[in-house]
Amino acid sequence: MTDKSNSQTSYYLNDAFYDRLMRLVDDWRLDDGVSPALSIDGTDKQACESLIVAEARLADDLRLEAWLDCYSDESVYWIPSSYPAADPRQEITLEFHDKRRLQDRVARIRTGVAYSMVPVIRTRHILGHVEYWQGDTNEIRARASFIIDALFNDKHRILSGWMGYSLVKEKNDWKIAVKQINLIDADCLQENNTFFL
Amino acid sequence: MTKKFDDIVQAGRVHRTVYTDEDIFSREQQTVFSETWVYLAHASEIPEPNSYVARKMGLRSVIVTRDKTREVHVLLNRCTHRGATVCREKKGDKTPFFTCPYHGWTFRNTGECAAVPHEDAYGDGFNKQSFNLKKVPYVAEYRGFIFATLNADKGKKGIKHHLKSAAERIDEWIEHNGGDHKAIRISGAQQYSVHANWKCLYDNAGDGYHPEFSHQSLLQMTQQRYGAGMDLDYFSGGIDATPMYSQDLGNGHTFLDQRPCMYEASAFDRQRPQPGREAIVEQLSQEVGEQQAKEYFEMSTGAGMNLNIFPNLLFIGNQLQVITPLAVGLSDMTWYSTTIDNVPATVNTLRMRTQEDFTAFGEPDDTANFEACFKGMQEREIDWIDISRHLHTQVDRTDENGIVTSVISSDIHMRAYYAEWKKLMESSDESTLG
Ligand code: FES
Ligand SMILES: [Fe+2]
Repeated sequence: MTDKSNSQTSYYLNDAFYDRLMRLVDDWRLDDGVSPALSIDGTDKQACESLIVAEARLADDLRLEAWLDCYSDESVYWIPSSYPAADPRQEITLEFHDKRRLQDRVARIRTGVAYSMVPVIRTRHILGHVEYWQGDTNEIRARASFIIDALFNDKHRILSGWMGYSLVKEKNDWKIAVKQINLIDADCLQENNTFFL
Repeated sequence: MTKKFDDIVQAGRVHRTVYTDEDIFSREQQTVFSETWVYLAHASEIPEPNSYVARKMGLRSVIVTRDKTREVHVLLNRCTHRGATVCREKKGDKTPFFTCPYHGWTFRNTGECAAVPHEDAYGDGFNKQSFNLKKVPYVAEYRGFIFATLNADKGKKGIKHHLKSAAERIDEWIEHNGGDHKAIRISGAQQYSVHANWKCLYDNAGDGYHPEFSHQSLLQMTQQRYGAGMDLDYFSGGIDATPMYSQDLGNGHTFLDQRPCMYEASAFDRQRPQPGREAIVEQLSQEVGEQQAKEYFEMSTGAGMNLNIFPNLLFIGNQLQVITPLAVGLSDMTWYSTTIDNVPATVNTLRMRTQEDFTAFGEPDDTANFEACFKGMQEREIDWIDISRHLHTQVDRTDENGIVTSVISSDIHMRAYYAEWKKLMESSDESTLG
């Protein structure tokens, strides 16, 4: 019965990976005020721009299997519960998934009996002020402000904050290795956020 | 002013207005959230002298402080001058004084009014002490859990008297989490607003009937991806024939025990795989040896106890869920997570990844159902909310301590807390903050 598709184990999310997450958190702050003016190859930058826009669009359009494909096999999707984000090894998050649990999240919605999504929550992401800079080898980092309008039971709700991205080149495709969703109200009362932010 | 509630709280049913009526909600603030012990904070949240957290006791905004002698105080966060909110942060440390931002009146963390700027203008008869912050008079801690009440009788009898045998269940929960209550630490919270009366949430606290249905998405997904025998699948089928049970512990406290099924074998093996599970298993087994690692894995898995301390503290897995009414149709549902001091760091990483599971995969579907219930309760055509499951089946057994044990799908938890709710609502006790 067990799905033998990729990402069925999670050896990669070890201490070294968590340490890398905390370095990303420092880097995404852009303490120097501007994103580092390191030259990024134009084709790579374009590919990354398309990737983060497509990821948001696919979530909004509920093309969740294609949405999952935007994520690398060794990825993390992370919504901190505090602002600024604490170390997720020591503090609970609102959501923190490796690729496997992200697949679980999609599979849950796909059962059709996830009542938090009945009727389905419609969303529209708006990403803006996107900044890209070079990370490690084969890695581009980015951050963007976002607004998400979510419609559930005929009621609109606005979520906002900023995203931090670590994008990596896997074979020939750029993928999301880490997406951190920083809600401005991460430490305040949340509502039904069972769609993908 | 007291009135009888017999017409709206009956043997197997309660009237919808118990949930929807503004006057009843208002009376609950005077009774349920004043005249019994209300949970406010965990000791680990105010670890040092002069630390504090801002909380709510029902609708009241309070500051829970620890003074320099380590004594805990619950202060009304309302300036005695003109009413401004004195403390505007959610938590802090190194704070022996709170200064009101409006006119600078300053209060010690014991509540005492310490300074009134340009005090002479109030004349000779002015007595600062009469402007101390109001305090909730009775504050008590049971093994790290801090409660408060306005009620003198309950306050004097103490928290242990009020908890009754629920105290032993708290001990069992602490035992599951390593046994040393001083090592248990609140490690962040997931906070949600729920558009329903607070009792819609409390109704669910001991509800063994719903998992097979409300949690279908979780059950189906888990079955599809990980096969049979996993988390909560023992709630499918003839659950009342399982050794799980539901209990009325008295004073509105209830207990639903999943351990006989969940811990029949390794509960850790039943868990949906947490992020990084394999990396942690490997690292921890190397660090401490396989036997010790196995113990840590089980302690990182939920306690299997749904212990509900009326009116607002729920032990669910290794988390605490605290319910706070915000309005008749709006509630704060906060899940506090826990880590343990003095264990290898990876144990706590595993605890965090485990405690994120249910709030993402289970609770949202329940919450959608609480909100749907509350919506239905607005309909004037149907008056009653049913709480009669296993009322007439003679399955309940009462032991020599008065603890009533029923089968897992029984509504005994609702009948138990409504008995306490009614008693409080009918009581003539109406304490004030003197
Ligand atoms: S209202 Fe607080 S000092 Fe005036
Ligand atoms: Fe549930």
